[in-house]
Amino acid sequence: MSFARPLAVILALTLAAACGPKRIPAPSRPSPTRVVLLPDADGKTGRARVTNEFGSTDLTAERHSVTAPPDRRPGAAATLTEAEVKRLFGGALAALPEPPRYFTLYFQFDTDQLTPPSRALLPEILKAVKERSFPEVTVVGHTDTMGTPRANIELGLKRATTVRNILVRAGLAESLIEVTSHGEADLLMRTPDSTAELHNRRVEISVR
Amino acid sequence: MTSLRRSIGVLTLLLAAATPALAQEQAAAGRIKVVSGAAFIVRGMETIPARAGELVFAADGLRTGEAGSVGVTLKDDTRLSLGPNSEVRLERYVYAPGTGGLGMVLKFVRGVSAYVSGRLARLAPESIRLETPAAIVGVRGTTLAIRVEEQ
Repeated sequence: MSFARPLAVILALTLAAACGPKRIPAPSRPSPTRVVLLPDADGKTGRARVTNEFGSTDLTAERHSVTAPPDRRPGAAATLTEAEVKRLFGGALAALPEPPRYFTLYFQFDTDQLTPPSRALLPEILKAVKERSFPEVTVVGHTDTMGTPRANIELGLKRATTVRNILVRAGLAESLIEVTSHGEADLLMRTPDSTAELHNRRVEISVR
Repeated sequence: MTSLRRSIGVLTLLLAAATPALAQEQAAAGRIKVVSGAAFIVRGMETIPARAGELVFAADGLRTGEAGSVGVTLKDDTRLSLGPNSEVRLERYVYAPGTGGLGMVLKFVRGVSAYVSGRLARLAPESIRLETPAAIVGVRGTTLAIRVEEQ
């Protein structure tokens, strides 16, 4: 009886705490965001456009940076020094995975035999796989624009599977390899439809 | 009554037809390649410690603690990394060139991140959306770093 009341008070407080508004994270005003454009692995620098409802700013050169406030248009682009990039973004940049490595293989005309230069790439591909701790290999078949898109998906898959088999015979674990086909959807050389083009009949391998 | 039974039958067929599409969307989007310190995959209500080699799926989030960092490579060779005290969500990821599906939405929630575009950006740059609390970033074959400032 004597502690029935304190118990009720504790219960009421607990309920109030549980049901009441949970630690409102201070009226959620969005945070300003800073973006910096950096050179790609090949040394070229792309482009980026930072847009909010008030306006937009283009980043067009290496280390171009802009801050977008939540309630005003993004500022003008300014160039950061390398030291500033490191100080502001180094924690994330240091954790970027290694860039993938790419290999393109071609077949001798109308056969499932690789051309001699393509065959010569095989040891290099196996080496690239060995160098990674959690390697994955994607083998993508591509065709030119002869024939229908649907038939070309099939044809690309056939080519990619042939390459997969070659890689497995050369000693690569089959479980690391994923085989897909882009058919005629990803041309290396842009051509009109129904165009025979040797450079589009290829298999691309990415090791990542 | 017969018509009701028939519509149930049709519904079942529709559901059966929809299932492969769902399964396809649940294919892995990428893999964790780099981890140090406290780093997690947030999947639905679950928070899973991130380990190198672990798969990442569409709708997953990545989160790091005080001294944590994590880096992933997605299927199209897009690379994404987070520094300490950061969070990024892979809201949408579809990479099926040839059969038509392409698209990615990354939501940069807090902290510092780096993004290097992959084949998706080459094949369909307009299908990529990088969202931050204060702006949207459009890319064309690009390496970027993004920092959501502390309030």
